Amino acid sequence: MESKLLTEFYHLDEFRGIEGYKKNGGYVELAKALKMQPQQIIDEVKASGLRGRGGAGFPTGTKWSFLPKNGEPRYLLCNADEGEPGTFKDRLMMERAPHQLIEGMIISAFAIGSKKSYIYVRGEYHYPISVLEKAIREAYDAGLLGKNILGSGFDHDMDVYSGAGAYICGEETGMISSLEGAKGQPKLKPPFPAVQGYLRKPTIVNNVETLAAVKYIIRDGAAAYRKHGTEKSPGTKLFSLSGNVMKPGNYEVPLAYPLIDLINKEGGGMKPGRKLKAVIPGGSSAPVMTAAEVEKATLDYECLAGMGTMLGSGAVIVIDDSQCMVDMLGVLTHFYHHESCGQCTPCREGTGWLNKIVHSILEGKGRLQDIELLEKVADNMKGRTICALSDAAALPVLSFVSKFRDEFEFYVREGRSKVKGTTYAEMHH
Amino acid sequence: MPKCTINGKEVEVKEGTTIIEAMYKNKDSIAHYCYHPGLSVAGVCRLCMVEIEGNPRVQIACNTTITEGMKINNTSQKVKDATKWGLDFHLINHPLDCPICDQAGECGLQDQYMEFGKYDPEMAEKKQKKHKVVDLGPTVVLDSERCILCSRCVRFTDEVSKTSELGLFNRGDRTEIGTVEGVQLDNKYSLNVVDICPVGALTSKDFRFRQRVWYLKDSETVCTGCSTGCNVKVYFNKEGMFRVKPVFNEQVNGHWMCDEGRDIYKFTNKEVRLLKAKKGQGGNWTEMAPGAAAKELSASLKSAAGDSMALVLTAQYTVEEYEAIVSTFVNTFKTKKIFFWINNKETFETFDGLLLRGDKNPNTKGLLKTLEKHGITASWGDLTAGIANGSIKTVVVAGPENQAVFPDMKDRINELSKAQNLIWMQAGSNDQLAALKGNVTLIPLKTFVEKDGTFINHQGLEQKFKRATTIVSEALTLDQAASLLAGQEIKIAVPAKVETFVETNRRPDEVMLEHRKKNEFVFKRGSL
Repeated sequence: MESKLLTEFYHLDEFRGIEGYKKNGGYVELAKALKMQPQQIIDEVKASGLRGRGGAGFPTGTKWSFLPKNGEPRYLLCNADEGEPGTFKDRLMMERAPHQLIEGMIISAFAIGSKKSYIYVRGEYHYPISVLEKAIREAYDAGLLGKNILGSGFDHDMDVYSGAGAYICGEETGMISSLEGAKGQPKLKPPFPAVQGYLRKPTIVNNVETLAAVKYIIRDGAAAYRKHGTEKSPGTKLFSLSGNVMKPGNYEVPLAYPLIDLINKEGGGMKPGRKLKAVIPGGSSAPVMTAAEVEKATLDYECLAGMGTMLGSGAVIVIDDSQCMVDMLGVLTHFYHHESCGQCTPCREGTGWLNKIVHSILEGKGRLQDIELLEKVADNMKGRTICALSDAAALPVLSFVSKFRDEFEFYVREGRSKVKGTTYAEMHH
Repeated sequence: MPKCTINGKEVEVKEGTTIIEAMYKNKDSIAHYCYHPGLSVAGVCRLCMVEIEGNPRVQIACNTTITEGMKINNTSQKVKDATKWGLDFHLINHPLDCPICDQAGECGLQDQYMEFGKYDPEMAEKKQKKHKVVDLGPTVVLDSERCILCSRCVRFTDEVSKTSELGLFNRGDRTEIGTVEGVQLDNKYSLNVVDICPVGALTSKDFRFRQRVWYLKDSETVCTGCSTGCNVKVYFNKEGMFRVKPVFNEQVNGHWMCDEGRDIYKFTNKEVRLLKAKKGQGGNWTEMAPGAAAKELSASLKSAAGDSMALVLTAQYTVEEYEAIVSTFVNTFKTKKIFFWINNKETFETFDGLLLRGDKNPNTKGLLKTLEKHGITASWGDLTAGIANGSIKTVVVAGPENQAVFPDMKDRINELSKAQNLIWMQAGSNDQLAALKGNVTLIPLKTFVEKDGTFINHQGLEQKFKRATTIVSEALTLDQAASLLAGQEIKIAVPAKVETFVETNRRPDEVMLEHRKKNEFVFKRGSL
């Protein structure tokens, strides 16, 4: 089952251009929103229960209400950095429906009183950047951006900013640092961006999917939006399904949709001859789930948190029985080691240490105490840094080791993979 | 004024006080590297962890503001574990090269390890290699592998010197401090980054490898580099003075001092000092004990008392010394021909906005106050005219102590040496004075580290300071010279030889300086 709010017209090529977008209901909600009071829009978004779709799941309306009542300028930043491994939903949204994002952003900017917004896109996304730039030009030409939008008296300018390709620039304060021209490093909180963000001015940072969803809350109203999903996880969400399934891709389903259905129904099930072994449900930083846990899981914030993992960005990475968990953890620790910004000591040194230990095991030099050491190091990285990258590196380690300990112990004892029967060198060459 | 409880003690703090500030004030011990009270909070070393009642996670004390009723502790097992692991993360890639590290003996990492660490390391993997001996600029060398990336130096150049030469480059455990290509760490305050570096990553080219710090004694005094009067610590041993570092004084210099001020130790050392008094006649010089030379002059000075005598003063002596010498001339020698030799006239009133002032004297206010007290109004023109027309026959000069900041030294020596008798008292040797052919007496004076006294800085703040050591034991203070010139008997306490390096509380197993000296290879290798 697919519940299509965001993606209803994604199959139409014309939806990418302003005319096709308008033909299919585009910019109707902008005109409606500009006739509302900004506070009415904030209240509606609050009532909808929309939670940030970037990973943290913080209530959007509540975040907006943290802005100081007075004071300008204030900024709206769209987080389109999308660096979490396994996540590719924002790319689709930007490529297929740039005006949907732009419309959602103008409505949001009007609600929070921002006259300037930026879409911060990861540098590797050349094509989405070009699509967005074209769409923004079209919006300016149509009087939907710039001065006195649709005669409402509201002025708003929008730009696309191409990041340099650092994972940590997806963290909101890291993104702000990058946008300010500095090295992409997260900033200490407090002060929070809503109080002191971009250029030390009040700033709201929302994900692409979050901002796009605002249009549908205005269209249908908060109550209608809440009909999708659950009380605490309302609405629909795009899930990026990857791994050894028949039909990997992006699927929009209501929150609380069964995870196993996403894999079997939307994703077409496992590839022939392969069995489900594990799933990382919310991007590579989410703790891994075993096949047995997957059977019981629904895709919503509460259920997954209750199972010791998280919904995150909604990147469902499916792992089949042919995969070596030690090898997979080697890929993950390498990634987080490479991407740590280097600012906080536990993350800077810890990510490197974890990576060295895992690779020492993979290279057949591991000691049994290394498995325990992995857990100790990861445990002492958690919650000890400015941003969540340290947790993102530690959580997969802890879950991989605790849930697939036998594979790690076998690797240490035998110097080869329990699943593949080969050494690291044989696996990769 | 919120009240909180820190480690069981109730503390009342000012609104906006952070936990680490309160703990500092309360003299509670807390581990930290990146926090520095003179810089913005970075919160990156993650060592200043505390437990706050009601909060499941440990928090950093440097970025947490105290609120009413907060209950804080940093002595629980949870905090100790967090600190231990924080240290472990710092140490896994830090080289254990303390025996060759310039910071050994005053290293934050060593100190904190001894206080909060002391555990067996668990890192079995190879350490991350980084760059060694990176030449950052004219004053500072970086050993990147020792750097723990506390970012204090980067914040200093951003926030204090506002020159922003330093930055953090690369990511993760490949991160290094550095300068962008073509840029050098080259500002007037650059050596402060060495002071605030908690490990041996940033080292001073001037001090690097010249002494192990445990062979040095230190003493607090006042910088004589300019009229700011920064509070400083001088470091010395039997071999002489080796470095100067700032001491915090909120009213005067905060936490910092300038690079120029750090050079003031150089004119105190024996190599550049006048060690004996010299009496010259027609280019032939006789060496004498300074006290004896001054005493010998008193008879002739007394007989010539009156306006044929002149005194020239520089603003580098203490208030007490000015009082003594000026009252001697006014009361004993009956002359008010006392002149203020002003150096750097064009730049005297300049200020760089931070610490450095154009007046390169520590006690201009003190000198002017004394002159005013004694009703001295003579101008330099009177002196020039007096020497030229022969009415001034004897000129006594005191100073300068720091000849490097008197660019007109050569001209003044030429000018003043035209007097029939010239008595020149100063600490340093001077080739031009040594080459004079007239009736000249040179008397060695002590430097600021060898005497007690008071300086009055540009803002009128009186700062008393104590003798740190003795370098030229026979040299006189200006007040001693004044008494002797006036024919008074004085007792000069010449310190016993050992007094220059009085060792107290030396551990029985500590390596003695004498033992080290026997290692000729190490001792004579010199600085790199």
